[in-house]
Amino acid sequence: MPPVTRKILIVEDDASTAAYLAKGLSEGGYTVETCGDGRDGLFLASEGIFDLIIADRMLPGLNGLAMLGAIRAAGVRTPTMILSALGTVDDRIDGLNAGADDYLVKPFSFAELTARIDAIFRRVDRGVSEGQPTRLSVGDLEIDLLARTVARGGRPIQLGAREFNLLEYLARHAGQVVTRTMMLEKIWNYHFDPGSNVVDVHIGRLRRKLEDGFAAPILHTVRGAGYRLSTEV
Amino acid sequence: MKLRLTFTTRIALLAIALALTSNIVLVAFVWKLVHDDAIAALRRDTIAESDALVAVYRTGGLAALQRTIAERRTPADPAHILAVIAPDGRRVAGSGPDFAHVAALQPTLFEIGRMSDWQLWAEREAGYAVRRIDANRLVSGRLLDDWEQEQRGIERALLAAMALSLALGIGGGLVVTRYVGRRLNSVADVIEGVASGDLSRRVSNAAADMVGSGDAFDRLATRLNAMLDKTERLMTELRIVTDGLAHDLRSPLARLRAKAEAAVLQAEPAQREAAMGGLLIETDLVMRILSTMIEITRAESVPRDRLAPVDPVALMEEIAELYAPVVEDAGMRFEAVIDRGAPRLVLHRELLTQALANLIDNALRHAGEGGAITLRLALADGEARFQVEDRGPGIAEADRAQALRRFGRLDAARSLPGAGLGMALVEAVARLHGGRVELGDNAPGLVAAVVVPVSG
Repeated sequence: MPPVTRKILIVEDDASTAAYLAKGLSEGGYTVETCGDGRDGLFLASEGIFDLIIADRMLPGLNGLAMLGAIRAAGVRTPTMILSALGTVDDRIDGLNAGADDYLVKPFSFAELTARIDAIFRRVDRGVSEGQPTRLSVGDLEIDLLARTVARGGRPIQLGAREFNLLEYLARHAGQVVTRTMMLEKIWNYHFDPGSNVVDVHIGRLRRKLEDGFAAPILHTVRGAGYRLSTEV
Repeated sequence: MKLRLTFTTRIALLAIALALTSNIVLVAFVWKLVHDDAIAALRRDTIAESDALVAVYRTGGLAALQRTIAERRTPADPAHILAVIAPDGRRVAGSGPDFAHVAALQPTLFEIGRMSDWQLWAEREAGYAVRRIDANRLVSGRLLDDWEQEQRGIERALLAAMALSLALGIGGGLVVTRYVGRRLNSVADVIEGVASGDLSRRVSNAAADMVGSGDAFDRLATRLNAMLDKTERLMTELRIVTDGLAHDLRSPLARLRAKAEAAVLQAEPAQREAAMGGLLIETDLVMRILSTMIEITRAESVPRDRLAPVDPVALMEEIAELYAPVVEDAGMRFEAVIDRGAPRLVLHRELLTQALANLIDNALRHAGEGGAITLRLALADGEARFQVEDRGPGIAEADRAQALRRFGRLDAARSLPGAGLGMALVEAVARLHGGRVELGDNAPGLVAAVVVPVSG
């Protein structure tokens, strides 16, 4: 549960999707406001009182990307997630280039949505409080970001470059669910679904290195969602 | 219809105008070359002489005129005319033809023409002036000499040439109009046919086939035909994709429905939850098929500016890095053979990666345990080959063309839905890069390559 109630603005013209989002996010402890029009969305967002904007791309009045551009032009830095049925690789890249912090394709699973929202808030909080950390630790796992070394319980663990990036990303979101597509996007910079279980295979290898010879599991599979790096089961 | 009419008219007028202008320029050029002021001098002298004689007549009457004529006349020169002609055409004084038509004429300042049927005068033209002196006419002038006669002939020929060129211009314009109209109409007919649904029609283009280079019309025809080829192919693909969509969605949807039904009927909570998990997996599968479908159709019309210079070595290394553990976990050996000399290419990094990922997926599915998969980047003959090789059963040579054309339909043994779509995506991506997909024999196994031209 977040310490302060975060406010999320949902700009979505499809009433049932908007209601579904509002219900789920309210149950997740967020304060939610919805509007169904790009112009209203721009008007509300310009107040700068929201912690996150979730916007559809195809909106009446003003389309999502144009609205986002106008919001950014007005100097409002509120993190924004585009939620769209336009799901090709180029659509996603366009959305991110337009200044969106994340791009999620409809239909989506709620687990994917909340994992991504958590990741955005974590990034914002970190930006405010810590600046650039040089070390990350999760339980007895120590990650030195400068030397790019990993140790668990004082015992060094050898990781490949990509495995290190994967672990760093999981550790930065320790305790949160990280989905397969989030990892594909952030670690490999691929915006398509490779189909076979590529992420699972890489996670499996990383997990063996992190857990073999240790009593407690640290890299957990969250069914139907993704993975979580945490000392808590 | 109105547009075509005015357009052809314009072409005809243009052809006529061009013929006329070029001929006028030529005529003017010839005239300038052969023009001499002999006739101009004759005209000047004749007018001056006739002015002088009229002045003499006015002051001294007919007698003084006859005297002056007698003085001025050069008897040795029969070509010189100085005559007073009576209204009936007879010569009453001076020298010149005994009879002349000039009496009937209005007095003229200067004229060139046949002035009499009498002797020499009938054979040659003369330059002469006719002045009225009371009832009679004073005629003065000279028969044209050879050069002047020739010059007259040339001038007349040039005039005739002008008239002829006008006729030729009109004729040429009509021919050009007919030709242009015929060729445009053949294009228009094809377009009309296509508009009414017959996509198989093409503009016949014999000239371009024979000569090879072709004029603007041949290029128009070639381009139009190429466009129609693409449209026809897209329409065919659209039909295949639509059929495929129905076919590929039917089985997962049927499974989804069966599992949903089972979940509803399942009373035991743990099994019920497992059944629900299965529902999610089937739903994701349907979504994957849909997104691949959309990606294929979009890849057909990706604008070129989506492509950027990419290092193909890095691209292949990233794929190798991503897939090596996957292949090894599937119980196969994985090898990446990458030509490091490959130059940067203009590529769509993600789509090409996705295409190669599809090929690796196919290899994983067909090659079976204990096999090997090789990811290869090779340069040959100005082309870069992005290649996936497996040691599976391969595809018989006779079936390869068929397999490429309708991979999904042929693949009877496929266990996972959407496999044919994966191949369709590979093809679409290859075409997006101006390249092609090649299937070959790995003896044993299949070599599937996306071949992309290195330059351009």
